[in-house]
Amino acid sequence: MAASTLDEERELTIHPLVATSMQHNNQVISNIRNLTASLFGVAAGTLGLESYPGFIFYLAGTLLVSILLFVLKTETTPGKYFYRPLGDMWLGEVFGGLSGFVLTWTLFYGLVRA
Amino acid sequence: MALLGTVLNTVGALFLTHAIYSTHEHTTAFSTSPLPTDITLELLLSIVLLSTGIVTSSQPLRPIQAATWAGQIAREGQKPEGTYTREGEAVLSEGDPYAFLGLDGGFGEKGGKGEGRRGFWDVKGKRREYEEWVRGRGKE
Repeated sequence: MAASTLDEERELTIHPLVATSMQHNNQVISNIRNLTASLFGVAAGTLGLESYPGFIFYLAGTLLVSILLFVLKTETTPGKYFYRPLGDMWLGEVFGGLSGFVLTWTLFYGLVRA
Repeated sequence: MALLGTVLNTVGALFLTHAIYSTHEHTTAFSTSPLPTDITLELLLSIVLLSTGIVTSSQPLRPIQAATWAGQIAREGQKPEGTYTREGEAVLSEGDPYAFLGLDGGFGEKGGKGEGRRGFWDVKGKRREYEEWVRGRGKE
């Protein structure tokens, strides 16, 4: 563990990172996640999903968005834009958008289906 | 790219609105029967279109490696992405943090007025110059 930390530190000293770029990228990802989460909520509510299928729908939607990010935004090289691609891009902000999802899900379920 | 995003967003929003309206009408008329397949498909299509549009029309990401990023700036020039006032002044934009090195100034052919410290020294160019000079001496 200690050796890997040292290696990481050494790597970061040789190839320094730009903190503002990392912030910017996280901000972009966060915006996209929030917008699309509300959108998936609209769809889930209109489809009349209830309970677990709704959350599974959300997870499927975020997977779709992750793939879109991977292909369209990072040109299949997420390591260039994210220090930890798995945590920052594939799973980044997934649960941050969940509240927005539930909000629009219940709203549209009530408006359209109930 | 911006146009593509706008088109995708517009078409997706239209499909979404239509699908939601259709669902509303359907549930009002036949509240017990399940949703027809075409409405479901339209809804899913609109979701895919809209998320593609959102991803496409969002701001471009920036490379996090300082070397890659500085190289991009050197190649493409500073691309200000921040917001602007109506007069065209940048409200918030990311500049080159190495600008203080005075790469653009100095005593080069452009005749900048900066201190003239060179952050990038064209090693290959200098080498070529030197080799040409050496060859020229050899001919004499």
